[in-house]
Amino acid sequence: MYRSTFFTVLLVLLFTSCKQYTEYVKSDVTYYVDDDKPQDFLGQSADSIFKVYIDVELISRESTSYPLGLQVNGFGAFDVYWDGFLVGSNGKMAKSGRAEIPGTEMTYYQIPENLAKIGKHTVTVIGTQADLRESRRGIKVKLESYLRLHRAPLIVMSFMNLMAGAFLIASIYYFFLYINSTRKEATVLLFGIICLLFFCLLIIEYIKFYIDIPYTNFYNRLQIVGLLTFVISILVPWYFMLQFDFKKKKLLLFLLLISLLTIYIIWYGHYDFTAIYFSYAMCAVSIIIAIDATIRKIKGGLIVVVGLLASVIVNKFIFYDFGLFIAFTIIVLSMLYLHTIRAKALEEAHNASLLLSSRLQLELVKKNIQPHFLRNTLTSLIDWIEESPQQGVVFIRALADEFDIMNSISEDTLIPIQREIELCRKHLDIMSFRKEICYTWEEKNIDPNEEIPPAVIHTIIENGITHSLPPKKGCITFSLSFSREKNHKQYTLLTMAENRNRKKENSNGTGFKYIKARLNESYGSNWHFESFAVEKGWCTTIKIFDKK
Amino acid sequence: MKILIIEDEARIAKRIERMTRDFFDRDAQILLCDSVENGLNTIEKQSIDLLLLDLNLNGENGFDVLQTIVARSFQTIIISAYTDRAITAFQYGVLDFVPKPFDANRLTQAFIRFTTPEKNSGQEIQFLAVKKARNIKLIAINDIRYIKGAGIYTELHLSSGRIELHDKSMESLEKLLPSTFERIHKSYILRWEEVDKLVVEAGGKYNMLLKNSELLPVGRSKYKEIKQKLI
Repeated sequence: MYRSTFFTVLLVLLFTSCKQYTEYVKSDVTYYVDDDKPQDFLGQSADSIFKVYIDVELISRESTSYPLGLQVNGFGAFDVYWDGFLVGSNGKMAKSGRAEIPGTEMTYYQIPENLAKIGKHTVTVIGTQADLRESRRGIKVKLESYLRLHRAPLIVMSFMNLMAGAFLIASIYYFFLYINSTRKEATVLLFGIICLLFFCLLIIEYIKFYIDIPYTNFYNRLQIVGLLTFVISILVPWYFMLQFDFKKKKLLLFLLLISLLTIYIIWYGHYDFTAIYFSYAMCAVSIIIAIDATIRKIKGGLIVVVGLLASVIVNKFIFYDFGLFIAFTIIVLSMLYLHTIRAKALEEAHNASLLLSSRLQLELVKKNIQPHFLRNTLTSLIDWIEESPQQGVVFIRALADEFDIMNSISEDTLIPIQREIELCRKHLDIMSFRKEICYTWEEKNIDPNEEIPPAVIHTIIENGITHSLPPKKGCITFSLSFSREKNHKQYTLLTMAENRNRKKENSNGTGFKYIKARLNESYGSNWHFESFAVEKGWCTTIKIFDKK
Repeated sequence: MKILIIEDEARIAKRIERMTRDFFDRDAQILLCDSVENGLNTIEKQSIDLLLLDLNLNGENGFDVLQTIVARSFQTIIISAYTDRAITAFQYGVLDFVPKPFDANRLTQAFIRFTTPEKNSGQEIQFLAVKKARNIKLIAINDIRYIKGAGIYTELHLSSGRIELHDKSMESLEKLLPSTFERIHKSYILRWEEVDKLVVEAGGKYNMLLKNSELLPVGRSKYKEIKQKLI
């Protein structure tokens, strides 16, 4: 339960940090600006010079200890005047014989204290705009303490860089995980890519604060942001589909793609809207997948639904810019959480397989010390020694040999087929001493390079010995043959003897369980085991399919 | 005397046969079976006196067989590798449990237990198996008040008042029953907890009064011993 607590705390922290920020940006300068005018100021003339007057009425300032600052958003290269006094310039205007050096979109200027009196002022912007004239972007001014104008982006950046760093590390980690994992899980790679894209998105979005991007490239940045949002909006639902094993992956992905393209076309050029609608589409599809998973009672489904709903709420109540990123962060966090659930499941499966392997090892070792084998063998052995010591010695040697082989293979999961055959032959030697029945061994077409899980054929032979009637004359023959087909190889063991009546059909006896568990351990599900009566006796086949 | 050996390992079967022959000499007729099925057939066809049984035969659990066999009149000695099943076997009422590997001494010990009328001092039997129609019913030893000989059968008188018939003779049962049971007469074995007091009747007849006021005769030869035990 501590996990959900952890999540709640994390969410609260995220929210509080945003809240602090929104309070912080509250302006300490109250002013009125007449911004109706400066929308359409570019003349039709080729020299593209413009001159814009913006009236500003400074109503109050909370503190005069810091100088007043002026923020100007606009395209072009221009000089800025405050009440006719040049306060700074952005880029270099085009002049005869000199091309325009483009300025950046957002610039800050310090207003001399003696001019920053309460009352009416005029901001005059004189400049040229050689490019992007058709965008009719307009010019906006904003008054604020000069210090705060600079500090505000730093505070946004501190949070955004924090997130970006976390996502960069996560993406690197998951890439390494993917490279070094034997499983090569698509979800791991996908998650790494999503984290990396998200890192890029954060960096590109806020790069405007570090680098003076010429206004001519202003839309390039937005296009990159749009593209990144587009890709993320496809990858995130895809990830959820893979993670939750959603049934109609292709259909939903197709619908998502169509809706994203539609959004792109309808809102073409409105970069902010495109991004926000992309994220809406992504959220909607993800919620559908997560709800489906919750209904199917898949672990982690509910937490993802909660995470997604939380991000929708965040998006609704917080100003777009961070809202989107915080929503993304919540989504990625729920993905990360999902991933850890998955990793835990894998770990458990791995532990279970280790446990199974050691249990099989134990079973193998037990074959020779289980009372039925050991005590019956010893009883026969005593008898042989008492009655004919020389034969008794041969018996002891055969027993020692079987123990040796068992000991040497006990820790392997696959052994050379020849080793297995050796083990079987030794076992038949021992059993012929015990049962005083003649057992013979035949093999056909054995490929010495092949491997097989240990004591599998041995187990079949044990069963064959148990379930065969002693022959009236002659021997019981075990014949092992190997064949390779197009997509599989096959071992066939034929026991040539009359079968005993079996009271119970124990095709799932411990012996067969052992064989099946061993085949599972080495070949996954790519095998087929069959055991059935035939005219000559009993036939057992093991098919091992080539890996798909 | 007929002795049946059920053992699926030829070498061991021969060993048991040899040792049995050594012990019983010419008295014994020894039969060999290598499977449960053959063994049961033999038991149906011939009346035997002693069964030497292996518990795991060709992968089949001998305990199923054991439950059906212990209700019979003959005694059973288990010769098995599964020493951990010994206690269970005794609970079902076998005469002895010889763990494999065994030697002549151990087997002889089991045979001696079979031939002498001494009580089984080893493991405590907990059930007596009784044949009921085609089923086998297990009767808890603690439910038996006394046992009465009735020809070749014995009657088990239970605390519930019911009477069950058993195929084993008084002598065979006496060997199996724990020391809480006492032979008080050639036809009566009594659970000692049921005893109230000894009653001497006119004419030198001795009777045992039970707690539920039933009277059972006490054999002349047993009288002294019983009286001793009561004091």
